Amino acid sequence: MADESAKPGSRDHAALIVAVAENRDRAAFAELFSYFAPRIKSLLRRAGDSPEQAEELAQEAMLTVWRKANRFDPGGANASGWIFRIAQNLRIDAARRARRADRTASEFALEALEVDAPEAIVGATQMEEKVRRALAQLSADQRKVITLSFLESRPHSEIAELLQIPLGTVKSRIRLAFQRLRSLLEEVE
Amino acid sequence: MTTTHHPTEATLLEYFSGTLDEGRRIVVAAHLEMCASCRRLLSAMETMAGDHLVSTPPEPLAQGAFERTMARLDAAAASPAKSHPTAHDLPVKVRALESYELGPWRWIGPGVYWRGVVLPEKGTSRVFLLRAAPGTHLPQHTHEGTELTVILKGAFRHEGGRFGAGDCDDADDSVEHSPIVEDGEECICLVAMEGTIRLRSLLGRLIQPLVRL
Repeated sequence: MADESAKPGSRDHAALIVAVAENRDRAAFAELFSYFAPRIKSLLRRAGDSPEQAEELAQEAMLTVWRKANRFDPGGANASGWIFRIAQNLRIDAARRARRADRTASEFALEALEVDAPEAIVGATQMEEKVRRALAQLSADQRKVITLSFLESRPHSEIAELLQIPLGTVKSRIRLAFQRLRSLLEEVE
Repeated sequence: MTTTHHPTEATLLEYFSGTLDEGRRIVVAAHLEMCASCRRLLSAMETMAGDHLVSTPPEPLAQGAFERTMARLDAAAASPAKSHPTAHDLPVKVRALESYELGPWRWIGPGVYWRGVVLPEKGTSRVFLLRAAPGTHLPQHTHEGTELTVILKGAFRHEGGRFGAGDCDDADDSVEHSPIVEDGEECICLVAMEGTIRLRSLLGRLIQPLVRL
């Protein structure tokens, strides 16, 4: 599948997910697939999955988008962030099943993050701007540790090696980075 | 409402990816209803994750992957709508509990009542409500496995500080606690408890026969 050269914004992705939810719109789904499946595959490859595993999970993730599109909240959720969560969920679940053969796949228990939240009134776009402003204020070290652990799903041992810090420090540094992000988000409010 | 105690980052990350077991997910969801700070943090994580996915250089899928997925779409039925909300007689509205049946309140000790939350499938944690009268000294207990608590009403104090409405006590198994309910108002908590309860704990002994049901 060739990647779409025109990169649609996240609002457009949200509209496509809504079209899938409301009309079972296969053309909308095809568009989402061509944009996201290759990115999910790449994301999972970077997290250490084999090409076959990444390929399989990318397709599973897109099928989940098809099935759970009606759980997507266009008012509060970030479309690509929602799809990231689906991919991350499948990856963690697959890893758990590999460790414990007896465990069956968990029902995907992803809830919308902002349902009826008072601040949802602010509007998703405005909220995203605030969030990006807060993220920009994190130190390079804090961004790095959040990227490695949260976005790239690297094991703590690998993060310790990459950053040349003791394993025990990794956990506390991640915690402090999220605490800083939390307080920055209070300030932008 | 300003909350001062939140779930740990690890718990929030699992909530984010939908990999928390059902019991703990309910407790985190109840906390989120009352905690703007955690809602903002999760929303920021979603934005960050979305930006990250969009900026990941695409890697083409194998030939035929698109057609194979399209061929599976018909088999993939739309997920059922959420089950109908259940009306509860709780003094506080908790949306996270709306799709669950609650058992009856049961007396488990002086001033302390227990009420089970019925999960459709047996998960790794059990979920229940605890209601304690003002001033109640809850017996000291150690957590074996994890215990995740959100305070719905009232407040208690223990070695870890004061926990008021909306606060989340995300205790690991190394913490010794002897909570005392504050005077003036009864305290209602929602608890997800994982693993077995240590028998030498009096509270554990009181609760154990109930949660085993």
